[in-house]
Amino acid sequence: MFKKKIYKVLVFSILAISASSCGKYLELRPQDGIIREKFWQSKEQLQSAVIGCYNAMMVSAGSRPSPAESFFVWGELRGDMIEPGLGASIDEVNVVNGNILPTNGVTDWRNFYRVINLCNTVLDFGPGVKSVDNTLSQEQLNAFLGEALTLRALMYFYLVRSFGDVPLKIKSTSSDEELVQLAKSSQKDVLNQIVADLKLAEGYSVASFGNNAYDKGRVTKFTVNALQADVYLWMDNYTECIAACDKIINSGRYGLVTGNSGWFPAVFATGNSSEGIFELQFDQQILNPYFAMFATTRRRYAANTIVADEFYTVDLLDENNKDIRGLDAALKVGDQTIYKYLGLSANNSRTQDVSYAHWIFYRYADVLLMKAEACANANRGQETLDIISTIRTRARALPGSALTPATTDVNGLTDYVLAERARELAYEGKRWYDLLRNAKRNNFARLDILSTAAVRVVPAANQQSALNKLKDPNSLYFPIFQYEIQTDPNLIQNPFYK
Amino acid sequence: MRKILYPIFYSVVVLCVFALQVNAQPAEKILIKGRIIDSKDKLPVIGATVVEQDADKRTITGVATDIDGNFAIKVSDVSHKLSISIIGYKTKLLDIGTRRVFNTTLESNSNSLSEVTVTARQQTNNGSGLVIDKRDQTTSTVTLNAKDVEELQATTIDQAIQGRLPGVDIVSNSGDPGAGMSIKIRGTSSLNGATNPLIVVDGVPFETTVPAGFNFGTADNTQYADLLSIAPSDIRDISILKDAAATAVWGSRASNGVLIINTKRGARGAPTISYTFKGTLTQQPGGIPLLSGDQYSTFIPEMFMNVNGTPLNTLTVKEFAYDDRDLYYYNNYSQNTDWVKAISRTGNVTDNNLSISGGGDKARYFASVGYNGQTGTTIGTGLNRLNTRLNLDYIVSDKIRFTTFVAYTHSNTEYNFGNDKINGSGRDNVRNIAALRMPNSSIYEYNEFGLLTPNYFSPASNVQGQYTLTPASTTFNPVAMVNSAQNNLVNDRIVPHFYLQYSIVPNVLNATSDVVFDINNGKQSRFLPLTATGRPFTENTVNRAYDSDYDTYAVSTKTNFVFTPRSSEKHSFTGLLSLQTNDVKSVTQTQLITNTASDLLQDPSSPGRTNANDAITSPLSQVRSMAALINGQYKYLDRYIINVALRGDGSSLFGSNKRYGLFPSVSGRWRVSGEPFMKKFSKWLDDFSIRGSYGESGGTPRDPYLFYNTYVPTSTNYLGLSGLYSNNIQLDNLKWETLQGLDAGINLIMFNNRLNIDFGVYRNRTKDLLTPNLAVSSFNGYNSVLLNVGTLDNQGFEFSVFSTPYKSKNLIVEFNFNISNNINALRSVSPYYPTQSGNVTQNGEYLSLLQINNPLGSFYGYKFKGVYKDGNATVATDANGNKILSPDGVPVQMRFNYPATDYVFQPGDSMYEDINHDGNINYQDVVYLGNGSPKFTGGFGPAITLMGNLKVQAYFNFRTGGQIINGTRISTTSQYDFNNQSTAVLRRWRTPGDETDVPRALYRAGYNWLGSDRYVEDGTFLRFRSITARYTFAKSLARRLKTKNLSMYVTAENLLTFTRYTGQDPEVATTGEGIGQKAIDYSTTPPLKQFTLGLSASF
Repeated sequence: MFKKKIYKVLVFSILAISASSCGKYLELRPQDGIIREKFWQSKEQLQSAVIGCYNAMMVSAGSRPSPAESFFVWGELRGDMIEPGLGASIDEVNVVNGNILPTNGVTDWRNFYRVINLCNTVLDFGPGVKSVDNTLSQEQLNAFLGEALTLRALMYFYLVRSFGDVPLKIKSTSSDEELVQLAKSSQKDVLNQIVADLKLAEGYSVASFGNNAYDKGRVTKFTVNALQADVYLWMDNYTECIAACDKIINSGRYGLVTGNSGWFPAVFATGNSSEGIFELQFDQQILNPYFAMFATTRRRYAANTIVADEFYTVDLLDENNKDIRGLDAALKVGDQTIYKYLGLSANNSRTQDVSYAHWIFYRYADVLLMKAEACANANRGQETLDIISTIRTRARALPGSALTPATTDVNGLTDYVLAERARELAYEGKRWYDLLRNAKRNNFARLDILSTAAVRVVPAANQQSALNKLKDPNSLYFPIFQYEIQTDPNLIQNPFYK
Repeated sequence: MRKILYPIFYSVVVLCVFALQVNAQPAEKILIKGRIIDSKDKLPVIGATVVEQDADKRTITGVATDIDGNFAIKVSDVSHKLSISIIGYKTKLLDIGTRRVFNTTLESNSNSLSEVTVTARQQTNNGSGLVIDKRDQTTSTVTLNAKDVEELQATTIDQAIQGRLPGVDIVSNSGDPGAGMSIKIRGTSSLNGATNPLIVVDGVPFETTVPAGFNFGTADNTQYADLLSIAPSDIRDISILKDAAATAVWGSRASNGVLIINTKRGARGAPTISYTFKGTLTQQPGGIPLLSGDQYSTFIPEMFMNVNGTPLNTLTVKEFAYDDRDLYYYNNYSQNTDWVKAISRTGNVTDNNLSISGGGDKARYFASVGYNGQTGTTIGTGLNRLNTRLNLDYIVSDKIRFTTFVAYTHSNTEYNFGNDKINGSGRDNVRNIAALRMPNSSIYEYNEFGLLTPNYFSPASNVQGQYTLTPASTTFNPVAMVNSAQNNLVNDRIVPHFYLQYSIVPNVLNATSDVVFDINNGKQSRFLPLTATGRPFTENTVNRAYDSDYDTYAVSTKTNFVFTPRSSEKHSFTGLLSLQTNDVKSVTQTQLITNTASDLLQDPSSPGRTNANDAITSPLSQVRSMAALINGQYKYLDRYIINVALRGDGSSLFGSNKRYGLFPSVSGRWRVSGEPFMKKFSKWLDDFSIRGSYGESGGTPRDPYLFYNTYVPTSTNYLGLSGLYSNNIQLDNLKWETLQGLDAGINLIMFNNRLNIDFGVYRNRTKDLLTPNLAVSSFNGYNSVLLNVGTLDNQGFEFSVFSTPYKSKNLIVEFNFNISNNINALRSVSPYYPTQSGNVTQNGEYLSLLQINNPLGSFYGYKFKGVYKDGNATVATDANGNKILSPDGVPVQMRFNYPATDYVFQPGDSMYEDINHDGNINYQDVVYLGNGSPKFTGGFGPAITLMGNLKVQAYFNFRTGGQIINGTRISTTSQYDFNNQSTAVLRRWRTPGDETDVPRALYRAGYNWLGSDRYVEDGTFLRFRSITARYTFAKSLARRLKTKNLSMYVTAENLLTFTRYTGQDPEVATTGEGIGQKAIDYSTTPPLKQFTLGLSASF
């Protein structure tokens, strides 16, 4: 009898102990990452989170193209300076031919929003760090927030230029409670958000990190100004654009690199030159995606055959007299290789293991030409011609590519700036946005710019259909990728693709 | 560590406390003497064991008799008994009382060397510890004994049970050695990836998943057979728990059904040694006939020319130049290589198994060692496996009993190299690449003088493409790949299992405790050599060495109390309380290095470059769970039986708010035949019962820590600064997935067990489906998320017949048949769930639409009507067949996807049915084409026994219905790129007027291979699965050969498949998840023809 009692007591006490320790026993935490409850505790962690945003522009999550790849593809594929190579996917060929469907993988914006979400995370949780870490000063915090605001604005700017209206999400997603199904915001609203963010960022950002690589690779006050100039120009706000450009020009921190054989290696091969304002810095650890796009035998893109002859022109009498930006810089003439990201110098090219040319978002020549374009539209035609002249002199441009518009001939000036930007900023992901910006101005008054460009590149079989599509301004923006439409009933496909 | 030990400690302590209750009665020792002689010849019995036993038959002390049969023993208590035993004699049990001298005789027992277990009724066990008579079973459970499957050349038991059990659908993923099977019990009840059932070995769950971080990088979605590394010959029986009431006792992990495996144990008697040998030759069935090099090189220029009318420039594309002045290209690209044949061979399998079992009153043993060696039909594939097992029972007394099971398995599986980037798609499978490789290219390289060199011909790239890690158009030299690449997995697994049984109240209350340690280590080494890809050394695909290593350490405990009060005539009851814990910890390490100096440096410890992502990873994960179960079965009047269970589960996979789940079940059986009014049928009706059940079981996500938002470091620095990023969405709403199962059935046994019929219908409803990879709009910052959404139903029936139509002394004819059907349908889904997938404006793609209440796996596409034979045929017609004219009288041409694509069909293009007669082929012309799920699956087969010693057994299995997309036919008749094509393209359209079913060849243009019914085929088949003839030598003959039992057999497997399917094999596992799931056949290695010669002998 006594034994049975002992059993009972034992069994129940053990059950009781087990039950009370259940909760703890089942409480396990991951060991190969930091959970959010333990993160956002120090300024070092805050900095790491900001660096993570830059990193996200360089890598692709999943098998989708990384933002760095899309910067090029979105900016050039619909332009007139490249043609698809043997390795181009059907999707890419279809974009060139003007046959873009919502299923086209080129239109996948996923990794842009990934960067945006990481920036949002910094903006949402970053300010809280200050209350935990007393060594974090308000200035430091602001600088970090400025970086996140600017990168977010940059991503949205790419999205509105490519898609028109896009969903605007400025809150981070960190829990399944916060998943949303947004509708599109109008291009105007998104641009207003960008302008507001940049205003804030301008006040927050540092003028210099005290380190040349950081100054070029991270967001400074002048990065913000350059982006502002671009955004205002897109919004046809010429005064603000010129003002933003002038902030950079008057800062005295930037200048044009001398136009000789050292120009290409300094600006593109080495990078971080005095001309550079904001460059995405690939390195030994993280190679850029461009080598595979241009270098291999089954390359995806080659230079359009007309670029050498019609854009840069050739001096038939003296082959050594050439525009320094053309042959052996932007492209190789023999096999139409796009050379800007492959070259170490005119004759010495990279191998895959050192393919870490930077992606240049903005450089000084770009800012000057943005100002030139704004001036042309703001009745300051002489300044436009002066700037173009500066750029051309530095570049030893050939007389064949010179134009002589009157200072009051807005259309003529526009064409000249556009052509000069094509030469100066060839294959830097600017061409399509330049064409579209100028074409859409004054309610699509210059659609001829786009049809001229299409004729240069679309194969004869597809030309008529491509030209017809261009007549509808809605076709100038990408369709929203089918995946997004399927996952969000509130998203409405862009008009042309319904 | 302390936390791990707590539950083990508690459960062990409980039993130890019971077990170590010893009657400590110090007493004077009493000397007892005696002599033992044989009862017949009166000679002394030498070495007999004389033992003092207490009332529980626990041994107190013991001695052995000497050479004269004398013994002397000091006993502690005269109330104990004296037991005298030796093998070959009957054991004698004597009271001591006042006797001090025991001269006694032992009776010879030569006829009962092995224990004869007479069990009146077959018993079943749901693995939890509750043992129930099979005839009282209230749930749907089937059991297969080892005898049923031992002739098959099965490496793993899943192969052995394939097609033999109703409602259990087992599909081989591939015929390659070491490839696993997908086991589905009553359909897929979860979208959570893992559809394989819970496997319970000797009463304790057996881990069959690999750590989440381990990257197998297999060529296709084959699971790993090592996961179930039990030799089929060690298995005593396999039971499958199908309905939810049966599986509910396993709660959280049982929603995919439960497989119960019990291994053999020793029995009392002299040692029995068994040896079995199986030798098998395997052969690859013929594939799709492909173009020869000559046919190919006339086909390609035509395909190119058809696009723009410009010829293929053979100055730049020298592969087709055939210029005998350029000896390098001429020789390397003018061959007729059969790549598939070049990587195939005849495979073989040998299987040896040696076991010994036996034992005495106190201790019993079963030990086995097995070796299985296989070479696959694709060069470079193979399997070597060594199994050992030791099962020891020690019976301390009637009250206490220990059992130890120790199993160790070492295996080395060789696979073909697979790229981790496209793991699971099956498209870079070596066989697939071999089928598509240019047949005019050479295997070995010719040099510029036209001389054959021993080097593999692996150009860095050619017109067909190059090797890339993200495979837009990956190709490589398949022969070089199978010979010099490596991908092998070495696995060592040791599972010590300790079991203690203690009768607290004999025959009424029993306690048992199990502790199982499972140490499972695997290492996969992969190497991608330069010789196979030919890529330049600057790229990081060159000489790429991977190592992936996982170490899993699991501890499971189970403590049971079984209560069986003495039953009366009317009532009987069995009850169970079970406490279980489980802790699985795993570390995975991967290493990667690229550009090692040589093809021979295949280990990542060799110096090289590492500018690749994820060069080193080392994720660690740990999952814990604990559960309590109460289960009882009550029987009234042998006619009314009810079984009730309640299980509570806690799991570390959930956040603290949703951590615990409760899973009840109830089931009952009414034995109608036992009712008085049925008495009149009792002559021929043995049993007629109706059973019904309801039960719940749960499902957990596969990955741990999902309810945390984790920040992880970026794999690279930026500007020398390290970064971190938010890696996932914190799942605040993560909860258990619940399966609610309803089941009803009839058992009918007639004519003295000659006819046994079992019929069941069921509906399994899974609620709060754990849906991983649920697409979320990417502006949320993530691609996908796991949510509990939707309800999925699986419903169907199962019917099986076991019959013995004829039985006489010399001839027994048996016939078994089973058939089942399962339909699954989504009842509701979340708004996040994409309602369609697939893109009908792209070649080769089918549309999947989600329609509530329709079966999953349906796909849609165009109707293929043949080929436009000439310009007249491409004119659009209206519903009456009249040509459509434009307002100015010009005939309107058929177009594709106007206005977005606006392709005008040309003569020779594929003709699709214009369902709505608008002259435009677009999404409005897409129709339902089929569903991958089979209608019925099952098997049947006779067994004939002649003269008691020759047994011929045949087995057929079948599937009816179910449409398969013949993926290989798509890629071998697409005529779209430089891939080799099937000989079907020889009848392609070439000139106007040609009437054929194969459109013209168009290099990367046109819409000739849109997803249409052209590639959809019926998957119905009837397979002659196996035939075995076994001859058992007569006892007298066997004894003359110094054996106890001797038998030989021959088996042939997969001899014939009757099907209209034109691909390699109609047995195709569904790929994809959720609504995207389709049965697409990419021709992985199909089930092989096998011929086995076997021998089994016991001594």
